[in-house]
Amino acid sequence: MIVQTVLLIGLVLFSVLAILLRDLLKSAISLAAASLLLGIIFFRMNAPYAGVFEISVVAGLITVLFILTIALTKAGDEVRESRLVNWVFPLVFVAFIVIDALVMKSLLGKVPALASGPESGAFGDVLWKGRTFDLVGQIAVILAGVFSVLALFRKRDKHD
Amino acid sequence: MIILFVALPLVVAGVLPLVGKVSRRVVPDLLANATLLALFVTAAVAGRSLLADGPVLQQLSWLGEAVNIRLALDGFSLFMLLAVSLVGLAATLFSIDYMEHYGAKANYYALFLVMVAGMNGLVLATDLFSVYLFLEVAAVASYALVAFGLGHDELEAAFKYLMLSVVASAFILAAIAVLFGMTGSLDFTAVAQALRGLDAGAVVGIASAFFLLGFGLKAALIPFHAWLPDAHPSAPAPISAVLSGLLIKVSGVYALTRVFLNVFGLTPALSTVLMTLGAVSMVAAALLALGQKDMKRMLAYSSISQVGYIVLGIGIGTPLGIAGGLFHLFNHALAKGLLFLTSGSVQQATGTRNLDEMGGLAKRMPVTAATNLVGALSIAGVPPLNGFWSKLIIIVALIQAGHPVFAVVAVLVSVLTLWYYLLIQRKAFFGKLNERWAAVKEAPFWMTAATVLLALLCVGIGILFSSTITTWVQPAADALAGGVQAAIGSWGF
Repeated sequence: MIVQTVLLIGLVLFSVLAILLRDLLKSAISLAAASLLLGIIFFRMNAPYAGVFEISVVAGLITVLFILTIALTKAGDEVRESRLVNWVFPLVFVAFIVIDALVMKSLLGKVPALASGPESGAFGDVLWKGRTFDLVGQIAVILAGVFSVLALFRKRDKHD
Repeated sequence: MIILFVALPLVVAGVLPLVGKVSRRVVPDLLANATLLALFVTAAVAGRSLLADGPVLQQLSWLGEAVNIRLALDGFSLFMLLAVSLVGLAATLFSIDYMEHYGAKANYYALFLVMVAGMNGLVLATDLFSVYLFLEVAAVASYALVAFGLGHDELEAAFKYLMLSVVASAFILAAIAVLFGMTGSLDFTAVAQALRGLDAGAVVGIASAFFLLGFGLKAALIPFHAWLPDAHPSAPAPISAVLSGLLIKVSGVYALTRVFLNVFGLTPALSTVLMTLGAVSMVAAALLALGQKDMKRMLAYSSISQVGYIVLGIGIGTPLGIAGGLFHLFNHALAKGLLFLTSGSVQQATGTRNLDEMGGLAKRMPVTAATNLVGALSIAGVPPLNGFWSKLIIIVALIQAGHPVFAVVAVLVSVLTLWYYLLIQRKAFFGKLNERWAAVKEAPFWMTAATVLLALLCVGIGILFSSTITTWVQPAADALAGGVQAAIGSWGF
């Protein structure tokens, strides 16, 4: 229980840091740390596949992409940012924690307990036999992403 | 057979960029239009015979072995497939000439077809997670299409659209997670059955609120509308037509209707919320439209207002109200598609969207002016055009269900709508020809052909409205009304 609480507090802490830190690199690393903790929580809750994906994709791959992108941007391209977020976000965050503490406990009592257990069946089985239509959708999402990159980074000579 | 609606556009989209290396224009044009035409013919001709024995639930097999792809086709989904393929076809026809100066046509069509596949997949999905997934497919493609011009405004609008749309998706996903946690299932029917045996009013209330927020953002209902007046005008004209005509309806109205009528069941409280949201959108967006100088921006506000009519009609929950709402959805898809296309013709000919700079264009672009008039009168609800009948049905349904105040509001907004459309018509097309446009010519052949096709449909459906309703709208409304019958008001709303 104590380990779980520490993990959850760490998760929230690093998520908040990821939003508040002004240095993009530090922010990306905080996000990676947060998702690493989330991955561990998944493992502890008997969801190893979710944990593996969380750690490998979100903590690993996406962080690498973020850091690569940050490395490719030029220093000195200062963008004026609104300072609003510095005090709006903590306000909203505190309000959320208060509401969470007041409401969630009674709400969770109303959710019926589902039969749970370690994920059964081989992963391929779950994906292929259970959620095949999602694969079609995933192919479509990837296609959409690739075509978007092609379209948005094309040579602009014709239009301009 | 049914999987064709998702698979065909996806496969063609995958091939298009490769084909684009060989032929930059002709083959992509042909492939994209042929695909949409094939989908339209399938929906219009084969679809109804498939449904002869009631809704179809299809389990796919791959090389003789059953795979877990389940698609459902009922009156409502067939109706949406028809609307998607019809307006999509008009948009691709229009694109043949219009997208010429943007470049990267193959890539454009590929994104377009992925968006169509996403909308079709959403319409055919049988479970909540697939709805979310295909919602994202259509949305990701549409972000890139809004930014396709690569200008400053386009990129800014696409970014704003992306940010608000992601918030919507997050709420939808959260609602799905809550439902899955409660019922242990994602399937529409299984969730609906499980919910009936469950006493969890507060949690259902939270899931409903999240869905309402998410789908409300996607449908751009007021107060969730901020992204639409930027995103829709910035896109290339055929994309504006598809976004306003189809995407907000499929990923907003269709998904909302499916979830609330077929899964949750429409409770009286929910009905009031939907009707109020619809009425507020109708009135506020019509007033906002009046003040616009940008032609496409005015049309975008008009879309919000008309989505208000659709949600108001469906929100009544009576069979007549649902039929009226759905019929208006179809009519608005045709007419708003048409108006965005004509605005594209005008923008391409004059280089401006500012209504104050136009004037007298009817003398130079008679076909565009005439088709624009048909679209405008149709949306404003002038008889005998199609929009008149759908608005009439909604108003009659409101009076029958005992909501005379809403009925009066609907009539008044109709007058407002006519007002701002006549403003467009007068400022852009009628009056003295502005000297600057002396050399303007009528739009190229395919652009005119697409607008004439939609205008003829607006007139034709207006005249043959009763047979359109019996063959297409009624089966769709029946598929939904069943869900209302099964509604239970015991969730403590």
